[in-house]
Amino acid sequence: MIRKLSSAAAVLLTSSAAFAASHADTSVTVVLSEELDIVDPCEASRSNVGRVVLQNISETMTELVPGEGLQTRLATGWEDLGDGTWQFTLREGVNFHDGSAFDAADVAHSLARIKSEDITCEIGAKFFGGTELTTEVVDDHTINITADPVQPILPLLMSTVTVVPSDTPMDSHVETPIGTGPYMFDEYNRGQNIKLSQNENYWGESPAVTDATYVFRSDSAVRAAMVAQGEADIAPNIALQDASNPEMDFSYPNSESVYMRLDTTMEPLDDKRVREALNYAVDREAFIGTILADGTLLATSIVPPSTLGYNEELEPYPYDPERAKELLAEAEADGVPVDLEITFIGRLNNWGNVTETLEALTAMWEEVGFNIDLQMVEVAEWLEYYSQPFPEDRGPTIVAAMHDNANGDPVFSMYFKYDSEGLQSGVRDPALDAMIADATTATGDERERLWKDIMHYIHTEQVYDVLLFHMVGFSRVNPRLDFTPTIRTNSELQLSQITFN
Amino acid sequence: MKSFLGKRAIASAISLVGLVILVFFLSRLTGDPTDLYLPVDASQEARDNFRRIHGLDQPLMVQFFQYVGDLLRFDFGESIRRSEPAIDAVLRGFTWTLQLAAITMALVTAMAILIGSLAAFHVGGFFDRLATFFSLVGASAPDFWIAIVAIVIFSVNLGWVPTSGTGGWEFWILPVAVLFIRPFGLILQVVRGSMISTLSSAYVKTARAKGLRNRPIIFVHALRNAMLPVITVIGDQAAALLNGAVVVESIFGFPGVGKLMIDSILQRDFSVILAAIMVTAFAIFLMNLLIDILYAVLDPRIRY
Amino acid sequence: MAVSETPPASEAQSIPKPPPAWLSILRMLYRDKFALCAAIFLIVVVFCAVFGPMLLGEAATDQNLRGRNTPPFDFSQHWTMWLGGDALGRPLLARIIVAAQNTMMIAAGAVLASLIIGTTLGLVAGYTGKAASQVIMRLADVIMSFPSLLLAVIVLYMLEPAVGNLIIVLAITRIPIYLRTSRAEVLEVRERMFVQAAQVMGASTFRIVFRHILPVVAPTLITIATLDFAFVMLAESSLSFLGIGIQPPEITWGLMVSQGRSYLTSAWWLSFWPGLAIILTTLSLNLLSNWMRTALDPVQRWRLEISRKKK
Repeated sequence: MIRKLSSAAAVLLTSSAAFAASHADTSVTVVLSEELDIVDPCEASRSNVGRVVLQNISETMTELVPGEGLQTRLATGWEDLGDGTWQFTLREGVNFHDGSAFDAADVAHSLARIKSEDITCEIGAKFFGGTELTTEVVDDHTINITADPVQPILPLLMSTVTVVPSDTPMDSHVETPIGTGPYMFDEYNRGQNIKLSQNENYWGESPAVTDATYVFRSDSAVRAAMVAQGEADIAPNIALQDASNPEMDFSYPNSESVYMRLDTTMEPLDDKRVREALNYAVDREAFIGTILADGTLLATSIVPPSTLGYNEELEPYPYDPERAKELLAEAEADGVPVDLEITFIGRLNNWGNVTETLEALTAMWEEVGFNIDLQMVEVAEWLEYYSQPFPEDRGPTIVAAMHDNANGDPVFSMYFKYDSEGLQSGVRDPALDAMIADATTATGDERERLWKDIMHYIHTEQVYDVLLFHMVGFSRVNPRLDFTPTIRTNSELQLSQITFN
Repeated sequence: MKSFLGKRAIASAISLVGLVILVFFLSRLTGDPTDLYLPVDASQEARDNFRRIHGLDQPLMVQFFQYVGDLLRFDFGESIRRSEPAIDAVLRGFTWTLQLAAITMALVTAMAILIGSLAAFHVGGFFDRLATFFSLVGASAPDFWIAIVAIVIFSVNLGWVPTSGTGGWEFWILPVAVLFIRPFGLILQVVRGSMISTLSSAYVKTARAKGLRNRPIIFVHALRNAMLPVITVIGDQAAALLNGAVVVESIFGFPGVGKLMIDSILQRDFSVILAAIMVTAFAIFLMNLLIDILYAVLDPRIRY
Repeated sequence: MAVSETPPASEAQSIPKPPPAWLSILRMLYRDKFALCAAIFLIVVVFCAVFGPMLLGEAATDQNLRGRNTPPFDFSQHWTMWLGGDALGRPLLARIIVAAQNTMMIAAGAVLASLIIGTTLGLVAGYTGKAASQVIMRLADVIMSFPSLLLAVIVLYMLEPAVGNLIIVLAITRIPIYLRTSRAEVLEVRERMFVQAAQVMGASTFRIVFRHILPVVAPTLITIATLDFAFVMLAESSLSFLGIGIQPPEITWGLMVSQGRSYLTSAWWLSFWPGLAIILTTLSLNLLSNWMRTALDPVQRWRLEISRKKK
């Protein structure tokens, strides 16, 4: 019996060597946290889709490169013709994976498709809601794009639009994405893996990685273990507590900002002193290096520091429970019902350690005299509190949220989060509405200055929310690869940027 | 027997219809999926569009009759999330789950009956205490905990088996082992309890008193009589596995129907939920039928 | 466990006054050391469940971010920290004691509710007419096929993740197992001579079911119920794992295990101690139920006497 067991173990051991070394030297395996439900390029702004599709299979006209700004990709140049019209010059000699040539008609079709009423693509809904786009094909490699209302950052917005061939259906999602990128979509074994292989006819440099396999594991510990065991090469997103190996684990600012959205229309949160007290009561430093990773930054605005118009002059609120208690006492003396129970809504799995973070916040607020009722809910219920219209019978509510803006301009955040009409806005302030409208249409230094003013107004003058952290993420990378995650790693994972050691 | 089968089929069809109606309306109580699918900043226009495309703008009763009409043509609807027919996703997942459940239950049944009845033969003996103790401890630990500890020990530290995923037979070892533990503990206890009763019952004592010392014969006869409650429990455990081992499937990245189910529930992908329920309910119906037949075979006194 | 020991209950019955029966049970319990330990442990757990939140409610929520994940067995600290601190630096021992209340309430509530409802329905289905039996069995089929996760999401979305609602979810999902088991047993038992004799003698259906049949099927049901107690505690923790169970700041052992699992490789004690509490509680219940089945055996023996007559 014992002999049998040990021979079984020997078989196991030999086969275990097989599954670690099963891939060729220039292939990589990426382990993602959730399976892709859809692979259509028009959904590439979802991070799970984007990490596979964006710039690997489907490319965009322009590309935002961290530290270098907006770069050319499928467009080689652009020019503002005035009145909201921009002219883009397209790269020549580019072919789609199906062999058809890339031209202006494809761009026009891609823009029409993301706004198609029959598929509701995320790119269209997220970046072009309320914007009319009209296109005019000048010649095969020149296209005029007009945005209504006028969009001063149209070239930046084009970094989000994936270009598809002009025969892509307008009314259904594709199951095999076709693009111009360095990799072709080979197959999708649903539930198991997605395989990409190199596009031999790519217009740019030939990348070092020839094949990629994507697999899906929901548990962070498993993802980390897979890279450690050589079953996978990259786990773009693992939890803080699993990032225990400095040889393999890299932290990167992931463009996510955590803030507490206050419903400033409800008592007692409509009182500025109460909102200030909420800010002073939080010991922000205590979270860092404990529940949250070292390298997490304290936030003074909802957008990360790499964003245009980020206001470096703002100081985070210090931890001052005495000041918080004073402010509360003052407000109470003026008849503000500060002891009203405040509902505190958190979303499960919103970020690593979200429950611990919110439990700690609750304790800190209760310490200075707030009456907080923490409720952790799943995403569907959370959205009911986060997005307009808010529940009718609500009491004062704080919603814990994480916002992602890796696109370099605050316009993607400010309207939605602070305008009176903004879907997730808890603020009703006509003055702020006007400031946001001005900044949205401004350009150049003017634009930068206006955004700075807005951040100052929100953070210091009116204290409309509790801004907490700019988060960092962790990637685990097999040492045989040379790959450094960046702020973009949250939304894309360009295989062509990977080389082998 | 034929009329019995017919009756069972009708009864199950009634249950299934009830189930579908119940799930259709109850699942819609959990909210509109629109907000979950579109980005939080999506415009009202995009939301209206989305509702129109997926028929969510229709009154609930209209949606229901539409669904039933499609169902009669064996059209289980499209998955909102996956842009593929719901039934395709479900059958794919179910194939995996069925294999996992079959392998696990075969092992569990064999081992639990063997060890459980051996334990019953020497009640209070060393083997009995050992078997009872370990089956209880194993069955008492949360499965996600066991799964992660097993990965840490057997994959990461020892490197014997892959951490997770699908592929050759070695990928099945950990999921099956983790799934094995709980039904094994439960069935072992029932086998043991039932065997103790049977062995202490009159006819076995009589047989022994008459000098029948042949253990295997006693064993086989007692086992046959002890099997009734055991089969019920086996059936329930198998049904639970057929519904999908959601925790184990999630951790091991196993593309079964349980993982599909929890994802679809959380994403309000109604047509997938319904298709999954119908497929698993049909499988469980077949299995219960088998159990009823087994009852009749084992105990001739039971007549249907 | 101790089958060789004389079943004493009949002796107890032959003695006219009840107090000595108590004494003899205690004496018997004392003789079986396993069962004794189990009983003592369960008494401690019940004590924690009843008084824990009152005595240690404050200490259990007292957090210290800079002292998070404190390793266990540092006896220089306050005794509540001897099992270590959790991810927010809260004392694990205190939290386990406080969490006993919710855990026991959920498990006991769900098991009792499903046992009572399931068994009653099963007895009715097994003994009475075809029509009622058909309705009940179809109901069981529907419940059995109804995905418990969906049920949990529905209930917790419509209501809220409170202890009472969780009991409802878990109880509903566990009904079919008692229903089917008791029905299956009844189908067999009702064919036996003593039941038929009772029928001939004109005993009412109610009396036959509850006085004659229930005691026969009870041992199997109790075996299942004790194991189900474990199952329900674990199901509760699985719901927490999937994010649709009880939510902080409420605590249960299952939630603690689930919250601690992400630290399994770095701070094992976060999920180990609450997990151990679950294991020990279930184990004790099982040991005690095994002991009870042998110690309080008149049911079994009475059943044997009847079947001897049948021969």
